[in-house]
Amino acid sequence: MSKPDYVEIIEEIFHKYREKKTRDFKYIGKKIVRWDAIDKVLGEPIFTADLLKYIKNPVFVYSVRTEYAHAKIKSIDVSNAEKYPGVLNVLTAKDIPGVNDVGYVIPDQPLIADRKVRYIGDTIALIIAESYENAVDASDYVSVDYEPLEVILDPLKIVEWNGLEEKPHTLIHDERGSDVLSRYKIRVGDPKKVFNEAPVIVENEYRTPMQEHAYLEPEAAIALPEPGDAVTIYAKTQCPFDTRKAVAQVLGLPFNKVRVIAPALGGGFGGAEDVGNEVAAKAALAALITKRPAVVLFTREESFIGHSKRHSMIARYKHAASRDGRLLGIEAEIILDTGAYASLGPFVGWRAIVHSTGPYRVENAWIDLAVVYTNKVYAGAFRGFGNPQVTFAVERQMDLLAEELGMDPVEFRLKNILRNGDRTVHGQLLDHGVGLEEAIKKAVEASGWFEKRRRYNLEKDVYRRGIGIAVFYHGNSIGAEGADYSSASIIIQRDGSIILRSGVTDMGQGSIQSLINILAETLGVPPSYIRVEPADTSTVPDSGPTVASRVTVMTGNAVLVAAYKLRNRLNKLAAEMLGCEPEDIVIEAPNVYCRDDPENSITWQELVEQSFWKGIPLQEFGYYRAPPAEWDEETGRGSPYFTYTFGAIVSEVEVDLETGVTRVLEAVTVYDIGRVVNLIGAELHAIGGYIQGMGYALMEDLYYDDQGRVYNTNLSTYHIPTAKDIPKEIKAYFVEAGYYHGPYGAKGLGEPSIVGIAPSIANAIAHALGGKVNRDINKIPLTPDTLYMIIKKHNLIK
Amino acid sequence: MKVRFILNNREVEVDVDPREILLDTLRYRFGLKSVKRGCERGECGTCTVLINDKPVYSCMVLTVQVEGQRITTVEGLVNDDLFKKIIVSFAEKGAIQCGFCTPGFILTAYALYRIKDKPSIEDILKALEGNLCRCTGYKKIVDALTSIRS
Repeated sequence: MSKPDYVEIIEEIFHKYREKKTRDFKYIGKKIVRWDAIDKVLGEPIFTADLLKYIKNPVFVYSVRTEYAHAKIKSIDVSNAEKYPGVLNVLTAKDIPGVNDVGYVIPDQPLIADRKVRYIGDTIALIIAESYENAVDASDYVSVDYEPLEVILDPLKIVEWNGLEEKPHTLIHDERGSDVLSRYKIRVGDPKKVFNEAPVIVENEYRTPMQEHAYLEPEAAIALPEPGDAVTIYAKTQCPFDTRKAVAQVLGLPFNKVRVIAPALGGGFGGAEDVGNEVAAKAALAALITKRPAVVLFTREESFIGHSKRHSMIARYKHAASRDGRLLGIEAEIILDTGAYASLGPFVGWRAIVHSTGPYRVENAWIDLAVVYTNKVYAGAFRGFGNPQVTFAVERQMDLLAEELGMDPVEFRLKNILRNGDRTVHGQLLDHGVGLEEAIKKAVEASGWFEKRRRYNLEKDVYRRGIGIAVFYHGNSIGAEGADYSSASIIIQRDGSIILRSGVTDMGQGSIQSLINILAETLGVPPSYIRVEPADTSTVPDSGPTVASRVTVMTGNAVLVAAYKLRNRLNKLAAEMLGCEPEDIVIEAPNVYCRDDPENSITWQELVEQSFWKGIPLQEFGYYRAPPAEWDEETGRGSPYFTYTFGAIVSEVEVDLETGVTRVLEAVTVYDIGRVVNLIGAELHAIGGYIQGMGYALMEDLYYDDQGRVYNTNLSTYHIPTAKDIPKEIKAYFVEAGYYHGPYGAKGLGEPSIVGIAPSIANAIAHALGGKVNRDINKIPLTPDTLYMIIKKHNLIK
Repeated sequence: MKVRFILNNREVEVDVDPREILLDTLRYRFGLKSVKRGCERGECGTCTVLINDKPVYSCMVLTVQVEGQRITTVEGLVNDDLFKKIIVSFAEKGAIQCGFCTPGFILTAYALYRIKDKPSIEDILKALEGNLCRCTGYKKIVDALTSIRS
C-alpha cells in the first residue's frame, strides 16, 4: 500500500531540510513576538468573561453543590428557592432534555446529581436568576434529604497491595459494580527469575499529591439562544469539538445545532478539558430554557472543587541491577486516585503505565496499575498526564540504586538509557532521533555536575546544598488512546493577507505561534501577514483535542501539508510569470523572484492577484493522521506512541536544616524536541514547566478533612510559586535529534516540560541531606514540615 | 451612594451600592476588561489597578473608598512613554503566555519604574511578589523588566 500523500509531504520536507541548521531558517526557531501579545498586554476583551461587555439582558446560572462527599439523594425540594426574588428557574436532574452526563471517557458523571452524590462539589441543582447575587442567595433555599454513606478518601481502602485486588467497601459507583476504574499491566521477560538472582535490589514506596492547575482565569461560559432551538456558546474550553459533543448530548441536539467558540483561555494545563464541557452545558441549558443569554462564572473556590486535578499516586517499586550497574528488572504496583469520577483517568492510567519504567532499556518487568475511585474531587488531565507521578518514583529509585552501587547517578543512568536502535520496554524499536544521551551530557556540562556533586558532599553548614538529576521520556500526542488526526485550513485573501483556521485553542501554551512559524517559513511570508481565527466549531476544521503536546507536531503537520500544496501552486505560477523553473522560485514576501535573478522581481500581491485571474485556488485544507499506535492489553507490548520527547534536568538546591525550607538555586533543563520551531515558546515551556514542577515538588497539595472537604480552596492556602520563589537561573537548552514524521523534524514540549522537575529537585534534596536520608525522600510535596521531620529523625541538627 | 473619582484622567461619577467592589465597578460599569477577576480575595493580582500611582488589588477596595482618588488601568496609559517601553519589553522578551495576569504585572511594573529608574533585581522581585503567574515561571517577566533599566 502506498503512503498517503500527507505522510510523503512531511517526510519529503524533513529530508530536504534535515541538514539545515535551525539558525539558518527565517522564521522557524526564531524569536518572534507572539501573535496575540499586544492584545494581551493592552487587556483587550479576549477572554470569555470579558464578552459579557457585549451581552444584553443575561441570566446568571449558579450551581448548588452538595455538602456531602458520599450520600444517597432521597429527595430534593426546590420550591422555596424558586420563590426567591429574581429567580427564574431552578433545575434538577429531571429537567435535562438529553442525557444527564458529562463524563469525558465513560458515562459516569451526571451534569446534575440524580441518585447520589460522590464528592463535595457535585452539582445538585442549577439556579437561573436575574443576577448572580440572586442566584447565590437563593441556593440556601434548596433543601435535600440525604442518606449519608461511608466516605472513602484513601485509595488503599479500595484496593490492597500484592495484586491490587479490590477490597470489600461501600461502593461509590455501585452502578458499575466496582470502584476500580481501570487496570493496566506490563509483562515482559522473566522478572521473577531476575529478582531471585539479582545481586542488587532496591525497593521503596512513593507518594505524589493531587495537584491543582491554578490557572488564573476561573471557568466561564456564555450561551446565546439561536433560532431553531440552536445555541452558540463561548466557553473556557481546551477542546471545543469535545465540548460540542458533550453539550449536544445533554441538550439532546444534533452537533450542527450546537456551536462552540473558544476565546483566549487564561491558562488550561489540561484542567480546561472536561470542566469546559460542564460549564458550557450548564450555560446552554439555561439559554435554551429562558431564551436569554446565560452566563456561568466560577469563583476561585468553585474552581478548586469544580474541576479535575492531577491524580495522586501511591506506588511500590522494586528495581534489580547487576553489580556493574546494569538495570536487570523492575517490579511495581501503582495506584492512581481518580477521585469521584473517571474524567480522563483511564487515559492517564494508560500513559502512566507506558512510562512506568522510565527511558531505560528494561528487559524484565512486571507492573500492575489500578486507577481507583474515592470521594475526593475528581482527577483528570494535568500537564504530564500520569507521567510526572511514575517518573518521580522511577527517578528516585535510580538514585537509590546508584547509591547502593556506589556509582554516580549520571554514570548509572548513562549505562542504562535508551539510544538510537534500542527497544523500549514495550518492544518498540526507536529507529530515529533519540537525543537523551546528548541531553544528559549537555545538562551535566552546563551545571558543573561532577564538581558540585563532590563539593556539596563535604558541606557541614546549616544550609546544605545538593545537586540532583532526573531524566525522562514522554510519548507525543494521544497514541493508542484514540483517533489521532489533525487538520487546518489556510486561505490566502485577495490582498495577500492570510487566514489560518484550525480547531486548536490557545490556553497560553503558545503552540499556535508554532503553526504561524511553520506557515510563514513554508510560504515565505512574514508572520504579520497571518491572522489566526479562534477555534469555532462552525467555521474551523476539527483538529482533534488541544492536549498531549500534539499541536506543534500534529496540527503543525496539517498546516505544513496545506502550506506545501499552496506553495507548489504559487511557485508554478510565479515560474510562468518570471521565466524560470518552479523549484527556483524564491518567495520573500513582499518580493518574489527567481533564485538567479533577484533584481527581476514581482510582488507577493501581484502573484496572489494573478492566481485569482488564472483560476488558481488559494485556499487549502491540510490533514494529518498519526502513524498507527499499538498496545497489547495483556503484556504491555507494542508501539504506544509514534515518537517520544526526551529530557534531562539538573536542579541545585539549598535546604535550611533549622526550618526545612528548600530553595532551588539553579536549574538546567535540556529537552530533545526534534527541531525548535518556536524558540520563545520552547523557552517559556522549559521555564514555566520548571516552576510549575517546582511547586509540585515543594509546596502544592490539596488537604482534606475526614468528611472529604478540601481545606485549601484558594490561592492563599493552596500555595503556588511566586516571583520570589524562582531560582536565580534556569538555563534552557534544546537538542534537535529530528523526527521524520514531525514538521521540519519537530516534537512536542508542553507536557514534557513538567515531567522530570520534581524528581530532579527531590534527588537534589536527598543529596543535600546525605546518604542515610535517601530512602525517606519518597513523597512530594517536600514541604518544610515534611523535611523538618526527616531532618529531626536523622538527627541532622541537634 | 454617589462616588466621584478620576478614572484614567477623566472625572467620573457613579451611583453604587456601598458593598460594590472597585473591580466590579471598573469591569461592569466602565467596561474595563484589562482588570481581571481571578480570586476576589486579594491573592492573585490579576485585578491590580493603580490608585494614586500605587498598585492595589481592586477586589479588596470598596468603590465608595475611592472618592476623590485617581484610578489608572492600562486603558488609561496607552499614550504614556514609560508604559509603552514596558509593553514593548514584555512583547519582545516573550513575557506573555495566556495573558490573564499580564495587565496586572504591567501596572505593578509601571508603578515601580515611576519611583525607581534602576530598580535592583531584588526590587523587581519584591514588587512582583503580589502578582501570580502560572504559565511563564516569571523569568521572562523579570528579564523584560531588567532590560529597560535605564
